[in-house]
Amino acid sequence: MRIGIMSFAHLHAEAYINNLRNTRDVEMIGFSDTDAERGKHFAAQFNARWFPTPEALLAEKPDGVIICSENANHRELVEMAAKAGVHILCEKPIEVTLEEAESMRDVCSVHNVNFMTAFPARFMPTAVEVKTMLDRGDLGRIYGVNGINHSEIPREHRAWFAQKALAGGGAVMDHTVHLVDLLRWFFGCEIAEVYAEVDNLFYPGEVDVDTAGIVLLTLENGVIASIDCSWSRPTYYPRWGHMKFDVIGENGFTVVDALSQHHTVYSKSAPRLPMWVGWGSDSNQAMINEFVASIREKRQPSATWKDGYEALRVALACYESAASGQPVQLTHKS
Amino acid sequence: MRVGIVGAGSMGKVHTPAWKNLAYKGAELVGIHAARANSAQSFAEQYGVKTFPSYEALLAEVDIVDLCVPTDLHRSMTLQAAAAGKHVICEKPIALTVDDGRAMIAACDKANVRLFIAQVLRFVPQYSSAQAVVASGQIGKPAVIRLTRAAYQPRKAVDNWFTDEKRSGGMILDLMIHDYDYARWLAGDVKRVFAKSVRTIRPDAPGDYALVTLRFMGGAIAHIEGGWAYPPGFFRTSIDIAGTGGLLEWSSDTSEPMHTHLAAPPKEEAAEVGLPPSLETETPFDFEIRHFYDAVVNNKPFLVTPRDALAGLQIGLAARESLATGRAVTINQEAL
Repeated sequence: MRIGIMSFAHLHAEAYINNLRNTRDVEMIGFSDTDAERGKHFAAQFNARWFPTPEALLAEKPDGVIICSENANHRELVEMAAKAGVHILCEKPIEVTLEEAESMRDVCSVHNVNFMTAFPARFMPTAVEVKTMLDRGDLGRIYGVNGINHSEIPREHRAWFAQKALAGGGAVMDHTVHLVDLLRWFFGCEIAEVYAEVDNLFYPGEVDVDTAGIVLLTLENGVIASIDCSWSRPTYYPRWGHMKFDVIGENGFTVVDALSQHHTVYSKSAPRLPMWVGWGSDSNQAMINEFVASIREKRQPSATWKDGYEALRVALACYESAASGQPVQLTHKS
Repeated sequence: MRVGIVGAGSMGKVHTPAWKNLAYKGAELVGIHAARANSAQSFAEQYGVKTFPSYEALLAEVDIVDLCVPTDLHRSMTLQAAAAGKHVICEKPIALTVDDGRAMIAACDKANVRLFIAQVLRFVPQYSSAQAVVASGQIGKPAVIRLTRAAYQPRKAVDNWFTDEKRSGGMILDLMIHDYDYARWLAGDVKRVFAKSVRTIRPDAPGDYALVTLRFMGGAIAHIEGGWAYPPGFFRTSIDIAGTGGLLEWSSDTSEPMHTHLAAPPKEEAAEVGLPPSLETETPFDFEIRHFYDAVVNNKPFLVTPRDALAGLQIGLAARESLATGRAVTINQEAL
């Protein structure tokens, strides 16, 4: 099976390219990027083939592509891939407006290609274990979930993450969707209400997007949950940030620090002092394995367009709530 | 000065050694009064103090009363103490309503006695030192503050008033007021409160769990987790203050200085009311009571003023209102 990467704008492409090379029965055919300087740079760094246009990559007739462009450019690349009959794994958030996300669903449906949303958090061993515990009812009825996905501002890696026109927003766009997806997956229901305090508290005057966000959610089943999506870790923090959540139920609680498996490294030349260097399982690899398996087995992947869409909806509702200062109700067709 | 404690519950028990430790400063713990004579009696025997058959009898023999009683009694007992000309240290929350709190403050002002609300969190070393770091400017201006106070439901064998919202204000007030006050200490007055609690969604749930957001006048955002939801014995707390110029993190998960593992661990009963573990030579209650006593003796200001306590109560009441209405509640800055 042949897989390529469309755009290296998203920093996750740097991880995925190695993941693809480590995936059984997959040939990593290279990546496209219309930014020639970036294309040449990463072609050299990863010893990979660079295609100057997405069309050139699609002309290689890949079975699937991973779309790693800026959020606002997803739709254009999704349409090209779908029309070429190529299955899609798309970075999150899947787009910056619901209309564009819906048109992506339509084009994939017309051309009969799969659309998988890149939600690697579902593949974390801790998340899988929590899902098993919840399905078994170990914790009893659930009261709430206190979720943390705060991080540093990603602009040092790629400037567009902190540019409204390309990212569609800031911290809320970037870091709400992972935990929203976990909540929807854990409980098998939708988010019913969204409240958010959102502001640019950390880089005022420097970026035109939000950098701080605290989100309070109520799920359809009555479970309450919060998500801290802030870019509140300094750039000199030992790691980019955290993925943590506590689940509290009638019969007990579980505390998850999904990235706790790390060494603490002090290195004079390192950009961070100290540095947390992870040694846990690679959830990106597990996600890509699922994408490849879904193509091979001609079935839907485990995190679909719908999952990406509902998460985007919640992120956009955060901005709506922040603007009004009141909670926003989300309605769902049953 | 002569001191009398009222109430033989968990707070009376931890305040007592703190008062005894102040003997060198001239503090004399005279005795205790408790509503139930037998609990007062066993308490008095344990700590070697006398018991008073009535609150009036205690007031007659002391200069200071330490009110470790359920919150619904704060107003009447404080007013009685003020009328008798006694200084008052009173457990948190100050009262169940802003009006009650204001009446307590007014009565003590009028009687020219001091009123101190025992917001002990400001005397807990990891909290006071974190505030000092913030105050020093080392991490810039607080922007996103995260606080956790997650424990188990108080399970007093007799008269478990904590679980009666009419008497304690419930978890969202009784427990979470610690962190409302602390957040306010860090970031100033609060503009807006939004809260979600299991209590409103499932009134019959055996425990309680709440998530509260605060928006401060100065722009900062706080997230406060509160719970009486854990199995008995668990008590977790954490601080995360992300500032415009740095970050401070602390978690009880990772700061225990000692972990003991025995081949045959004894089966320990969790305390009736959970208190965070404290493995220091002086407890937060030592710091708190000493601060109060020094301030009274030397006529110095308190670190926590009654107005601070009232502002913390106001946040808790706004959180309750938010739970009842489902809306974000704007704090009335004029109400205090």
